[in-house]
Amino acid sequence: MKTKEYAILTDYLTKNYGDFTAVNNLNLKVEKGKIYGLLGPNGAGKTTLIKMLCSISTPTSGGAHILGKKIPDGDIASKIGYMPQETGVYFGLTVDQNMKFYSRIFNLQREKAEKRIAELLKFVDLEDWRYEMVDNLSGGMKHRVSLACTLIHEPDLLFLDEPTVGVDPELRVSFWDYFEQLRDNGVTILITTHYMDEARRCDRIGFMQRGRLIAEDSPLKLLEESGKDSLEDAFLAFARNEDTMRMGVV
Amino acid sequence: MKFYRIMAVSRRVFRGVVNDKRSLVLLFLAPILAMCVFGIAFSGDVENVNVIIINQDQGFTPPMGDTIYLADEIVNNLNTTTLSIHNMTSIDDARAEVESGQVSAVIIFPEDFSENAILKSQDQSYPNSAEITIEGDDSIVNIKTAITTTVSTALSDTLTENGVTPAIQLNSDPIYGEDAEFIDFFVPGILAFVVYLLTTILTLITFVNERSSGTLERVLSSPVTEGELVMGYAITFGTFGVLQVALLLTIAILVFNIMVVGNVLLAFLAVAILAISCQALGILLSSLAKRAEQAIQFFPLVILPAFLLSGIFWPIQAIPEWIRPFSYLVPPTYAANACRAVMLKGWGLDKIWPDILALVIFAVIFLALAVWTLKRSKN
Repeated sequence: MKTKEYAILTDYLTKNYGDFTAVNNLNLKVEKGKIYGLLGPNGAGKTTLIKMLCSISTPTSGGAHILGKKIPDGDIASKIGYMPQETGVYFGLTVDQNMKFYSRIFNLQREKAEKRIAELLKFVDLEDWRYEMVDNLSGGMKHRVSLACTLIHEPDLLFLDEPTVGVDPELRVSFWDYFEQLRDNGVTILITTHYMDEARRCDRIGFMQRGRLIAEDSPLKLLEESGKDSLEDAFLAFARNEDTMRMGVV
Repeated sequence: MKFYRIMAVSRRVFRGVVNDKRSLVLLFLAPILAMCVFGIAFSGDVENVNVIIINQDQGFTPPMGDTIYLADEIVNNLNTTTLSIHNMTSIDDARAEVESGQVSAVIIFPEDFSENAILKSQDQSYPNSAEITIEGDDSIVNIKTAITTTVSTALSDTLTENGVTPAIQLNSDPIYGEDAEFIDFFVPGILAFVVYLLTTILTLITFVNERSSGTLERVLSSPVTEGELVMGYAITFGTFGVLQVALLLTIAILVFNIMVVGNVLLAFLAVAILAISCQALGILLSSLAKRAEQAIQFFPLVILPAFLLSGIFWPIQAIPEWIRPFSYLVPPTYAANACRAVMLKGWGLDKIWPDILALVIFAVIFLALAVWTLKRSKN
């Protein structure tokens, strides 16, 4: 069955807000065990797409299969991890309390949760801040807490919406090392980013513009195809090409 | 619905409130302060009202008897806690005092006061009645009422002392609320009001934050359903409601010595259900606000109807009849009613069940609507 090979498979997925089309008949395929990077300007529909895939936004039309199951599906929710742009952590709780809360809603056993929290805090380098109120942490630290909360239940599929904003370069590199390690263990990651050095580390990249996927391939192929030497230039080339085609249709 | 997820949410909400000192103060110190301020300010009857007495009464000497000065007797019977009495002789000067705001009223006994009173009581066909004239500043209704009541009490006391018994007598024999004071009426109302207000506002703010910080989306992307989320909030705020009431009642009993005739647990029940519908109302309202600053604009909308309509500070009977149906559309009305019936009249569940039922209906409707708005926001 085709749906089984893909962690994400969308079928003419569309989302309208009134007259505005945020996601337009999108057919996206993400293979299991890959890191897929979504690139595109603000307002291209990346976040809306992710929200639909996490079942927190209902598509206007079309549908999607996540990990082989048609969404919305009650069982899928415990297998995915969603890291929202707005961080999605409780500022009025300590780091520890945040992580315990997320471990509870995924029904982690107490010892298991303790172990995960210790591991993850070590990974995001926040062991010394465990009992600090999130409100008192810097922006980058809040993002690190958010990532740790996303990973607490060892999800099979990760949706990371700009996870490295405000994170210092050194830590960003270690984040990506960890993402690759997760991928090597079979975890699928859909990630949005504006950093081109990060995009280069993806297995596959999709360029999004005005709710559509205008180009998709491995980073190297995209550079080759566009004849440019940076992904920014490649994106602009594809975007211009797309605009010309649209003009031609009109 | 999974209980462990509901409890996880409930614990999270509880932690959030406990971690934030300001929320704690709002939940527990503010109601105590409000009760004390209102309780002290409203409990006092009107006192020390300045009045001027112009006593021109010449008295009356019956054949073969001593002269009787009835006006003096009435003045002596005036309650001097309520009225501070000053004597003057010139009516014009006294009026000037009222006009300048120094005193609230002039009470005038004319020269023939005793004469008319005694002759009229002996012979009904006697043409003149004895008259007491009160010329006052009637613009403050409470003070006006206090003066009239004090004078008429003194009058009827004087008549009784003189052996004049009125033809008709009014007896008051309380079935409920013997020796009840205003504070006894007031405390059950403020319980309902405080829980309504603070629960709605705190949930509103908490939930607006939950929306803007992305936690709502993260939680809803997890196995937690909208229903579980709302129930988690309901459990925490229901518990806070009960704790608030327990604290307020303890202080009300210890400090204000209020009357509790019935089973306090029933009052807890009523207020807990009220708190549950209020937190759902808070979630409902939060869907209309993007940020906490916008949520603040709803405060008057939350506060005013309950303050004015739900019979907390004055009975519903004092509200114009055409507005009264709206009183029955605000949940605190039923909670105040139930608490009052339990505490002042000692009623049991057999009698307050209509109020409890109304509260349960509100809770169910608001909870369902809260879940519905959460689901709808996905579109």
